[in-house]
Amino acid sequence: MSREVDRLIERVRSTLREAPEAVPDPRLVAQLLSAVWASPKPSMLRRWLDAWRVPAFSAVTATVVAGLALFAGFVTRGVIGERPAPEPLAASGPQTGEFPVQFAAATTIDEAAPVLTQFVLNDAKAERVSLVGDFNDWSGAATPLTRLDSGVWTVSVPLPAGRQVYAFLIDGTFLTADPRAPKSGDADYGREGSVVMVFPR
Amino acid sequence: MGRVRFGDSPWREAEVAGHFSRTSLMTDTLPGTSIDPTLPLRAKAGDRQAFAQLVDLLYPRSLRFALHMVGNREDAEEAVQDTFVRVYHHLGQFRDDARFEPWLFRILANRCRSLVEKRRRHTTVIQYGDVPDRGGPPGTETERDWTEEVYRILATLPLEQKEAFLLRHVEDMAYEEIAAVTGVGLSALRMRVKRACDVLRARLSEVIRDE
Repeated sequence: MSREVDRLIERVRSTLREAPEAVPDPRLVAQLLSAVWASPKPSMLRRWLDAWRVPAFSAVTATVVAGLALFAGFVTRGVIGERPAPEPLAASGPQTGEFPVQFAAATTIDEAAPVLTQFVLNDAKAERVSLVGDFNDWSGAATPLTRLDSGVWTVSVPLPAGRQVYAFLIDGTFLTADPRAPKSGDADYGREGSVVMVFPR
Repeated sequence: MGRVRFGDSPWREAEVAGHFSRTSLMTDTLPGTSIDPTLPLRAKAGDRQAFAQLVDLLYPRSLRFALHMVGNREDAEEAVQDTFVRVYHHLGQFRDDARFEPWLFRILANRCRSLVEKRRRHTTVIQYGDVPDRGGPPGTETERDWTEEVYRILATLPLEQKEAFLLRHVEDMAYEEIAAVTGVGLSALRMRVKRACDVLRARLSEVIRDE
């Protein structure tokens, strides 16, 4: 290939490398880390499947397996073979079986359940940062933030639903409100903290 | 560090104290440069700070690769996040003598392929030459035309050719590393990259003639 054509591929490569829309928002890294820390560990089976790459079934094998599963299901439910006698219905009164109760619980918002809430502070010069608030009794040791190389500090904490007032403690000395959050408006100690509204899930 | 007492620790405006720098936060790892090989091992041993550094270093490259693979920012961010979650939970399977980037990119490339396939199944009409909305590139009109044409051609390449081209020419990986990422043989990879280059050359030569 000619030198001119090679220069063309070189130009394509520069265009794709410098794509401005591929420059990430720094806060994405902090959000991603929070998602990683909060993600449930996969089951042993899932990890085993991931590790061993189960071979793909052919269409015939898949059909046979599906047929066997259906047959087993019909037998279990009594569609094929001897049908088990139905349970007698309760004559009257409220149903106290498990299913209605579980279903109701699953669809009700749990006001008391803590909600994982992420805090981010951009401070490249800080050596350590803690989150303080009513939820940790304003303890500077309870909730340290993790520093990323970019100078962004982040932590995710489970908080009860409602209005939470908080601040950042920088290097164990400077107490500062969150520059990205609304001020609390109640300057109990001479300066306002920040406020976050935590909504129940 | 004990409980904070406001009387002893007066509030100070952080900006006055020189905090909250406004410089760029991201540290892009240049293609071809390697990360500290002890970082993955420390992360594997449970060091969260080391894992956070890995994410910080490799996020920009991962996002760029995913964006070029899937064609839109939202899916690219999803693919990258899924990838790092999987990497974190499977660090125990990472071999101590292996290189981290090919391992990461293998998972990322799989996620991107799955997303593209999923979108294909759920998208009824994709017209030839349509480019997903990625925001307009900045620059002069000529530069914009060039960039848009590059994106357009990239979007029409077969996925396996696009993947091989991006890993070789944008991420600067050796063919042996691309083979580890894709599970494809070296000669097949060379052919994929060559075919992608041929298409780009043929179609972009026309753009250059018009400039």
